[in-house]
Amino acid sequence: MHVKGELNMDEPEIPGRLDDAAVNGLDGKTYLTGTNTELAETRQREEQYRALSETVPVGIVQINEAGTIVFSNPLFKAYCGRDGAEEAGEELLAKFCDAYAGFPGVPCKFETEFVVPGSSTRSVIVISSGWRATGSGKPSAIVSVVDVSEMTELRRINEDVRRLNRELADNMKRLKAAQDELVNKGRMEQLGQLTATIAHELRNPLGAVRTSAYLLERKVKDKGLGVESQLERINKGIVRCDNIITQLLDFSRTKQLNCQAADLDSWLGHIVEEEAKRLPSVLAITCSLGLAGREAPFDPSRLQRAIVNLLNNASEALVGQGDDPAKFTNPEPQLSISTYIKDGGVVIEVADNGPGIPTDVMTRIREPLFTTKSFGTGLGVPEIEQIAMQHGGRLDIHSNPGNGASFAVWLPLAKIDAAAEKAA
Amino acid sequence: MPRKLRILVVDDDAENADSLAELFGMDEHQVIVAYDGQQAIDAFAANDVDVGFFDVMMPRKNGVESFNEIRKAHPAARIYFMTGYSSDDLLAEAMKGGALGVFSKPMDLQALLNTIEAEAA
Repeated sequence: MHVKGELNMDEPEIPGRLDDAAVNGLDGKTYLTGTNTELAETRQREEQYRALSETVPVGIVQINEAGTIVFSNPLFKAYCGRDGAEEAGEELLAKFCDAYAGFPGVPCKFETEFVVPGSSTRSVIVISSGWRATGSGKPSAIVSVVDVSEMTELRRINEDVRRLNRELADNMKRLKAAQDELVNKGRMEQLGQLTATIAHELRNPLGAVRTSAYLLERKVKDKGLGVESQLERINKGIVRCDNIITQLLDFSRTKQLNCQAADLDSWLGHIVEEEAKRLPSVLAITCSLGLAGREAPFDPSRLQRAIVNLLNNASEALVGQGDDPAKFTNPEPQLSISTYIKDGGVVIEVADNGPGIPTDVMTRIREPLFTTKSFGTGLGVPEIEQIAMQHGGRLDIHSNPGNGASFAVWLPLAKIDAAAEKAA
Repeated sequence: MPRKLRILVVDDDAENADSLAELFGMDEHQVIVAYDGQQAIDAFAANDVDVGFFDVMMPRKNGVESFNEIRKAHPAARIYFMTGYSSDDLLAEAMKGGALGVFSKPMDLQALLNTIEAEAA
């Protein structure tokens, strides 16, 4: 057996295979030194790898520690442009170095983009084996460059489709809301016309009844007929009917608000003071107004309506009509009104220490015409919510059954801030 | 001693018109009643009316239309309106045209009698 100094250096693209030595065996075959691998078989494998490297849709490059390209397949060369010049390859690898710290020495996988000279931008996944010892003992790294431009494009299109779907869903939602609003507005206009007719038709006879009761009162005065309580009942009935009509008119009102910026605490304090005179005296009413003179935009007559409803509801939940202590839901009925800033708006909160709102009532409390009382229109809470929403706000209801309830009207400050900015 | 007034009450709702006429009559004011807008114009022309109380929504001619006509012939006519429910625009037109006030039905009778007393003073 002797060393055959015949090395295959004609195909430098796949180095390290036959760069040592081959020996002729006694059986007439040629073997690689120190192995039982037949040279012909190795050549066959070499051909297979060459064919693979030339046809695989992956750019492959082998690079040594000095940064020199030891091997590159045709696709990698194509990525480099300039007919696969070595400098072009090194420039491309330098770009990969910029894209990933540690490349190519550490095993890594990352996405990046580069422009093929004279061609288009490619999105690629770069995979490096990191420094690995080769047959010659010198470390080198095998780098694969997988073109995912089309996948990236597909992903982008997919994302676009998803975004458009989201936008479509949002638009559908907005359209539905607009349709609902339109239908609701139409219904409210119909309700408004109906209510106006009812108001006109009922208030005229109510007027005649009130005037007639007044005439009767004057005619029987000092005659000792004892009809005072009956007359009072008639008058109370007239007031109650008129209040119901007013509430229906207010609820069906679709007119624009007449908002003015004003010191909300000061205004509210005055309203509560007036209303407290009307409410049962057994109620302990406390006010904690915390806006410190902050102005808010609101329609005074509409908001007053909401406040009156809030106070009436809390009062009725605590003491009913206020005339029978046996019906009080708390022997020490307390009603508190507070204001504070929250979420860029002002909150007017009315809380009571009554029985709270049962869960089944809570789910329906915002429905128009729903009521748990033996009297009333069932428009109180819906009207409060409607007024809050007309102001661009909302009504939050909290209840802990057995421990009272609170109703909080939140109104935005944005309008007045925008107006203030404009004025500035 | 407040003077006695000649009051024109106009309302297509006869119950209302007649009960008001009776109320004012109790205080010995002279009351003329009209049941629509045209009758109101005719009654105003035929009588030396001190003060009028006009309903708004009425057949033939509404209260504001008849008020406007009356004010052309009698610029100093003193007219109040009474309404169960009317459009805000119509009431605003009446107030702009010189109406003295608007009472909402069912009317606050004490406020109404105070107004009469002030007119008679």
